[in-house]
Amino acid sequence: MESIIRKRPKLITFVCVLGFIWIVFSFPAVFSPSVKKLGDWYPALFGLIVAVSFISYIGVWHMKRWGVGLFVISFFVKEIILILINDINYIGIVFSFLFIIIMVFFYKRMDVNL
Amino acid sequence: MIFFGLFKESVFFAINALVVNKLRTFLSLLGITIGIFAIITVFTVVDSLEQNLRKSVQSLGDDVVFIEKWPWAFDGDYPWWKYMNRPLPDYNELDGIIQQCNGAQSAAFLISSQITIKHQSNSIENVTIICASHQYEKVKNFEIADGRYFTEIESSSGRPVAVIGDVLAKALFPNQSPLGQTIKINGAKATVIGVFKKEGESILGGSPDTQVLVPVNYARSLIDIHNENLDPQIMVRARPGISNDELIAELTGLMRSMHKLKPLVEDNFSLNQTSLISKEFDSLFEIVGIAGWIIGGFSILVGGFGIANIMFVSVKERTNIIGIQKSLGAKNYFILLQFLFESVFLSLIGGIIGLLIVFAITQLAGDSIGMEISLSKSNIILGFTISILIGVVSGFVPAYSASQLDPVEAIRAS
Repeated sequence: MESIIRKRPKLITFVCVLGFIWIVFSFPAVFSPSVKKLGDWYPALFGLIVAVSFISYIGVWHMKRWGVGLFVISFFVKEIILILINDINYIGIVFSFLFIIIMVFFYKRMDVNL
Repeated sequence: MIFFGLFKESVFFAINALVVNKLRTFLSLLGITIGIFAIITVFTVVDSLEQNLRKSVQSLGDDVVFIEKWPWAFDGDYPWWKYMNRPLPDYNELDGIIQQCNGAQSAAFLISSQITIKHQSNSIENVTIICASHQYEKVKNFEIADGRYFTEIESSSGRPVAVIGDVLAKALFPNQSPLGQTIKINGAKATVIGVFKKEGESILGGSPDTQVLVPVNYARSLIDIHNENLDPQIMVRARPGISNDELIAELTGLMRSMHKLKPLVEDNFSLNQTSLISKEFDSLFEIVGIAGWIIGGFSILVGGFGIANIMFVSVKERTNIIGIQKSLGAKNYFILLQFLFESVFLSLIGGIIGLLIVFAITQLAGDSIGMEISLSKSNIILGFTISILIGVVSGFVPAYSASQLDPVEAIRAS
C-alpha cells in the first residue's frame, strides 16, 4: 500500500526535537558507571530502550502510528525496569506521559503503514 | 528464512562496501573503534585497579582495626597539631587489649622500618622489616611457603629468627634453601626459619615478597621501638560474629581508660579500618570512570555520525538497486532491515577492532607494569552492546529513508 505524506503538526515536531535532544544526552548515559554497576546486562537493556525510543521518535516524526506504539512500549518497559531497581524519575514520567497524550491526540492523523 | 536471507545479503553488502571503498569505510569505522577503545580501556583499567585494591585491602584484613596515632582519613576542620601531640601506641597497651577486650580474637603490636640485609657477599638495601609481637600471624593474612612462623618462646624471648619474603630469599640464596641460613640485619645475625608465599605486587605497597619479619623483642636490640618514625601500631582482629563497629566501640572505651582520658576530653588515638582506604579509592575510581565514560561516550556518538554518513552514501549509491528490488516486490521492511543489518555489521567490525586493541594493550601492559589487568566479560559484553546499538541508532534513519523511496523515482535516479 502506498504511504501518504502527511503534514506534521508543530506540537509533534516540538515533541520529537525534545526527544532527539534527550536521546543524544541519554545515549552516553546508558554506559555510565552507575548503570554498569547494576549488572552486566543493564547497559544493554537501557541501550535497547534508548535505541527503541529513538526509532519511535523517527516514526512519530514521519507521522507513523507504529512510532506511537513503539514509544508507549518503550516507556512502559523503561518504567518497569526503573521501578524494579528503585530508581523512579517522576519528571521523566510526567514528560513521557505528556508526550504520549500529544501523540495519541494526533494518532488518527497518522499513517498506518511502515 | 527471510531473516537469514537478509542477514546474508547485508553482510555481503557490508563486505562489499568495505572492499570497494576501503579508505572511506576505514575512516568511518575509526570513530567507533576509537570510541569503543576509549570507553572499554577506561572501564578495564578502573575494574582491574579496583580488583587489585580489594585484594590488597583483603590481605590487610577487613575485620581488623588498627590503633594508631594518625587517622587514615582526615576530617577537613580538624587541627593537625592535635594529632602531633598524641601519644604513640605502646607495646604495653597490647597486654591490656588482649586481656580486657572481649570482642578481640587476637592482637599484635608492630613497627616497621627500612634496613639493609646481608648474606655473605649478597646485600639488599631498603628492605622493609616488620617487627611484630607473637599474634601477628593471627591478625595479618599471609602464608608461609617454606619453614614456619615463630614459636611463642622465640617471640617472647626475642630470639634472632626471621621469616623473609620470596623475592629476598631468591636474591640472597640463589639455588639453595634459605631455611637455617644466617642473615645480617643492620649487622646483627638472625636465622631464617621461614619464607613467605609469593604474593606479587600490592597496589597499597607492603607486599610480603620484599619484607623481613622478626619478633619485636628481638628488634629492641636493633632499633628504638619507641621511635615515632617506625609507625608503631596495634592490629586487633575481631572475633567471629563481632562487627568492626562493635570492636571499635569497645576499643575506644578501653583505650580511653588506658590513656586515662576524662569523659569530655577528645580521643588521643585513631582507630582505623580498611574500609576507610576502600572509600577513599572508590571516590577516585568513580571520578576516573565518569571522565572516561564522558570522553568515550561522546567519541562513540561522533563515531555513530560517521556510520550514519557512510550509510547515507550507501543508500544514495544503491538507489537504483533499491528501486529494482521494490519494483520486483520487495517490502519496505525488507529494504529497511537490509540497510540496518549492514549498519550494525559495520559498527560491529569497528567495535571488534576496538576490543581487540584493548585486549592487546591489556596483555602488553599487564606484563610490563606487573599488575593484573584483564578485559572482563562484562566489558566485552558492553563493547558489543555499544557497537550494536550505535549501529542501530545511526543506521536507522538512512535505512528508513531507503525503505520509503518511490520505486519509479529510485530506478530513474542516476
